Amino acid sequence: MSFRKRNIGLSTGGDRTGSVNASAQSQQAPSAAAAAAAAPESTPGVRPSPDDGRPTTSTGTPSLDNILAGHGGLPIGKTLLVEENGTTDFAGALLRYYAAEGVVQDHRVHVVGMPEQWGRSLPGLIGPADAVDDKQDKRKGERMKIAWRYERLGEFGAGIAGSRATPGDQSQPTADGSPDKRPAFCHAFDLTKRLTHPSIANLNYIPLTPSNEPLFTTIHKRLDAAIASSPPNTVHRIVIPSLLNPTIYPPESSQPDSVLPFLHSLRALLNAPGVRATAMITIPLSLFPRATGLVRWMELISDGVIELCPFPHSADALATSGAATSHEEPPQGMLKTHRLPVLHERGGGSDQNVGQDWAFTLSRRRFEIKPFSLPPAEGDKEGQDGTVSGNMPKKADLEF
Amino acid sequence: MPTQPPLPPLLAPYVSSLPPSSLIVLSTVLGAQGNWLTLRYLYAALNAASTSDTALSLGEGHNGKKQKVVLVSFLRGWEFWRAEAKRLGLDLARLTDKRQFAFVDGLSELFSGPRTTPTTTPQTTPPSLVPSPRGGPVPQRTILPSRSTPGPIPARGPQPARGLAAVAAPAPLTPSAPSASPASSREIGPVKRLHLSGKGPAALDRLEKDIAAVVAHVSGRATATATAEAEGEDDSEVLLVLDQPDLLLAATGPSQEIGATEMTEWVMGLQQYVHATVMTLAADLPLIHNASAAAHQMPTPLETEHAAFAIGSAHRAHLVMQLRDLDTGAARDVSGVLRVSKGGAWGQSDNTDANGSWEEKEALYFVQRDGGVSVFGRGE
Repeated sequence: MSFRKRNIGLSTGGDRTGSVNASAQSQQAPSAAAAAAAAPESTPGVRPSPDDGRPTTSTGTPSLDNILAGHGGLPIGKTLLVEENGTTDFAGALLRYYAAEGVVQDHRVHVVGMPEQWGRSLPGLIGPADAVDDKQDKRKGERMKIAWRYERLGEFGAGIAGSRATPGDQSQPTADGSPDKRPAFCHAFDLTKRLTHPSIANLNYIPLTPSNEPLFTTIHKRLDAAIASSPPNTVHRIVIPSLLNPTIYPPESSQPDSVLPFLHSLRALLNAPGVRATAMITIPLSLFPRATGLVRWMELISDGVIELCPFPHSADALATSGAATSHEEPPQGMLKTHRLPVLHERGGGSDQNVGQDWAFTLSRRRFEIKPFSLPPAEGDKEGQDGTVSGNMPKKADLEF
Repeated sequence: MPTQPPLPPLLAPYVSSLPPSSLIVLSTVLGAQGNWLTLRYLYAALNAASTSDTALSLGEGHNGKKQKVVLVSFLRGWEFWRAEAKRLGLDLARLTDKRQFAFVDGLSELFSGPRTTPTTTPQTTPPSLVPSPRGGPVPQRTILPSRSTPGPIPARGPQPARGLAAVAAPAPLTPSAPSASPASSREIGPVKRLHLSGKGPAALDRLEKDIAAVVAHVSGRATATATAEAEGEDDSEVLLVLDQPDLLLAATGPSQEIGATEMTEWVMGLQQYVHATVMTLAADLPLIHNASAAAHQMPTPLETEHAAFAIGSAHRAHLVMQLRDLDTGAARDVSGVLRVSKGGAWGQSDNTDANGSWEEKEALYFVQRDGGVSVFGRGE
């Protein structure tokens, strides 16, 4: 890596010349150059959707990007509501990836209701190259068997998004030897490391301080002011962890007439002309079940709704057997997509990923979402062998 | 799949011949949104008007009257409707110029007031960033000649023709109308932005005034008085489309003295200004069934009021179009189920033609990526 030419000529962010993160630097600079050369759209981390060309930005989790209805990312101006059952914090990990991706892409990240400590614990950037190596090792075995032009077909996320998004996501100049002109859209992060990036100081924290105004009115005003005061082409990310969680929010905030106007105003803010922003919100479902009218209205106001259902610990047996093959990591929970941005707004249903059962796995390096499939029952080995050896000849005999 | 006609044949009778003073309730759920169906209503009204193909329209439409549409949207912005209508071949910006269509924005400033800091020409700065990368050029909303002042707002009181409204409109509230705050009557060209201020029925009344002013503007009766309307001199019929007004109910709640009753009266008040009304409502399970006695836990006020409003509206409706997810789970070639059923006001209209062409049915629908919709029976 060290011998690679550092191409700083066309970098967009002036403050990125610091030598803080070599890997980030080495892949950001060519990406900026490529973006400037390829398209008038020179904002890093924003690319047109393969589906309809609207600008999208990455959630920081490649596999989450891929299930968002073919857009390969979260469309600008949309909110994503991530709901989580139980006491785990998988949704928090998704949020950290989302925020970290924003930091790396020089987007303006607004964090609501969290102390600065939260920002300091963002996952560290590993070069996208690392992720590719990782992935390629895994894929190598299969590559032998499948003709190259079909190799992406069966893969998760294939289709409009998958076929076009994957190369841009992770294969970087070092990967194939052929330099990839596409800017890095999504990065890989390591949860065990801490993100160090020059623009991490630009995180905008919006604390929940009591005032004589309603809490959410204050938050909205500060968000609005922050967005209005920034340069026009800035891309914003609004991070709202654990909305309505009683340890953070006062009890009266969970009244419908308090939180629903806020979400509505947030939606209005994101839809305002000239504003380029996305938002990701998490909410603990154990405290606010989906069966209540309040949560349903929050879902109706959001553009995308995703529910995480982690497997309980006692289901470890199921989890280990849930892996389709032995070398895959066992899934840690199920993921349900209740609503996808843009797609459902239009009427929904035509996405090929809709209706899939998804499982997710959180490892040190990635949050991976893949189709969930139950493996053949463990004790049924003889039955399976019998099927292969015993039944097949019989079938042949039946031919006449 | 081949491209679909903008109006699927199975759907056409339900969207294109609305009897006078009728209410159509479109109930949707989280996974089956009704925007495509709302757009079909827009298309049926506006396209027929622009091509002067009145063969489909019944009732007063026979007289060659132009159909006009006022769309009030509480959850979706102008940009969304403009882009989606374009996929159907409707140019809403142009129709706005021709005063056949008007959009009332219930999203941007409903709760928060105008964006950006005050004093710095708030209304012109955001749209002036014209080369906005979001969805192409912003329609010329800002450079449109702002319309002349809407003139006297049609008062609610002296309209004996539609008896329902007399009950709905409490007379003492009418004098408060001129005191409508300037913030609530702000407008950018043709786009009116609603702002909810104050409490209770008075706040709703202010919204109603705003919407009524837009309706009057569109129908070309900006200066007409209520008497003209009573004499039936209006040369056009206006279709009012309310997109998720139930948000108002959900986001205000009893603490602001807006309940199902007030909402129902509000909708009835709006109905009197227009020829027909289409209203979309959320009918998700928790919003409807939690309020019933069979539910295992105490319903919240939100659920009670929402259920009362939705069910009450269905009872007042001529036709209820329900959209829901496929019962058997998501499928790749089916988006959801459309059920057409009679509302409580079925058959009360004197226009028997329309009722004759309506029959209850259930069909599947599929929204394609290009925006085309096919509606088909099970197994077809």
